[in-house]
Amino acid sequence: MQWIIRFFATHRNITSLVVVAGVCLWMLSSSVLQQQLISRVLIYSIFYPFHFYIAQTTHIKNIFAENRRLKEEVASLSVKLAQTADRTQENERLTDLLDISRQYPYTLVPARVVARDPSLISRSAIVNVGKDKGLLPYMPVMTTRGVAGKLIKVMGRMSLVQLMADPANRTSVMIRRTREIGILETENGTDFFIMFRAHADVAVGDSVITSGLGGIYPRGLLAGLVARLEQNRDPLFKKAWVKIEANFDRLEEVFVIKMPPRWASFKSELDSLEAAP
Amino acid sequence: MIPDPVKWLIAFLAALVLQTSFVPAISLGNATPDLLLIVLFFFSLKYGVMPGIFVGFFLGLGQDLYSPSLLGQNALVKTLTGAFIGLFNERVMRTDPLVKTVLLIVVFIVHDALFMAVQVLKLHDSLGSLFSGLFFRTLPRALYSVAVAALFYLWEMIPKPSVRK
Repeated sequence: MQWIIRFFATHRNITSLVVVAGVCLWMLSSSVLQQQLISRVLIYSIFYPFHFYIAQTTHIKNIFAENRRLKEEVASLSVKLAQTADRTQENERLTDLLDISRQYPYTLVPARVVARDPSLISRSAIVNVGKDKGLLPYMPVMTTRGVAGKLIKVMGRMSLVQLMADPANRTSVMIRRTREIGILETENGTDFFIMFRAHADVAVGDSVITSGLGGIYPRGLLAGLVARLEQNRDPLFKKAWVKIEANFDRLEEVFVIKMPPRWASFKSELDSLEAAP
Repeated sequence: MIPDPVKWLIAFLAALVLQTSFVPAISLGNATPDLLLIVLFFFSLKYGVMPGIFVGFFLGLGQDLYSPSLLGQNALVKTLTGAFIGLFNERVMRTDPLVKTVLLIVVFIVHDALFMAVQVLKLHDSLGSLFSGLFFRTLPRALYSVAVAALFYLWEMIPKPSVRK
């Protein structure tokens, strides 16, 4: 036995050739049925794993390609869905605005907010209408839910709106139920309040509307609801905290009430008085 | 750096794929270059008899499985051809491109002669067909293959960056 192993070791090339050639000759000399059987065995044992691996690789590659295609499709559909949802919301908002324009006996100019004050307090916004629509400074601006502010600067195709959230803005309002009049103001742009005399008839839940006395807003525009009453340190007054209806952080479409300030007609007289020595 | 066995595996797979897909498109009459044999030639020349035998066997077996009319014919022919090329192993003798070219033509003749011999023995073809096949098919095929193999020579002639060990 030893000499056979030694022979194979020393004559590796010859023995390899003889063995392999022998296998080939055996395959060649076998019958057709045997050859088919050998082919099947070889295919399934040696070549099939390679074929399987290559097929699986191709399959995985196809899955990756399909996955990528599906991801792109999902992204595209997501964008379309978001656009559709946005359009639907816009449609609803515009329908509301249309209803509002029917409710109020004023000429309403629809406007879109194109820019907003980027600071923490939304003091102002820019809308895409201006002199081209016949607008003037101090015209009131409202949303579907209530009053929002007033124009303070009007340019050709855009206007600057001073929102009610601006602490410098003060609005003359009244309680709808009892007609108690007060000034709606804020110190931080989010908490609004009205100072009333201590005996004023004000209750939580009362609607707060514009009084029409300031000369800018017409009477009756909803501003908010009384949310809380607080006894002031001064016993002569009490503070009514108001929840404002308009959402200043999400202003998109607004209406400008085409109504010049009522004191505009006296402006020339006032100016002449100021100019007089 | 890709290890040598992987490089050769890629070379054999590429040769197989090109042989079955691209080569028929560039055949000139009966002459079609045999890429598998070319790669086997360079492989056996580099690694010697025994690797040539086994690689030749599996390459031939793979070819046989695609056309199982004579199972073992290509395996036997490629085994013997691989062994024959291995005799001129680069470790044993240095071969310049001219010798390699002549050797490649000889290898083609040996390969086709063996192939046709098996054909004659097994399928009882006439000896005349063997010689006419050698003349009309093998020679053009060998010359065309040498032209293709020239690309390998050019590849070998391109100076490679030296690897510091």
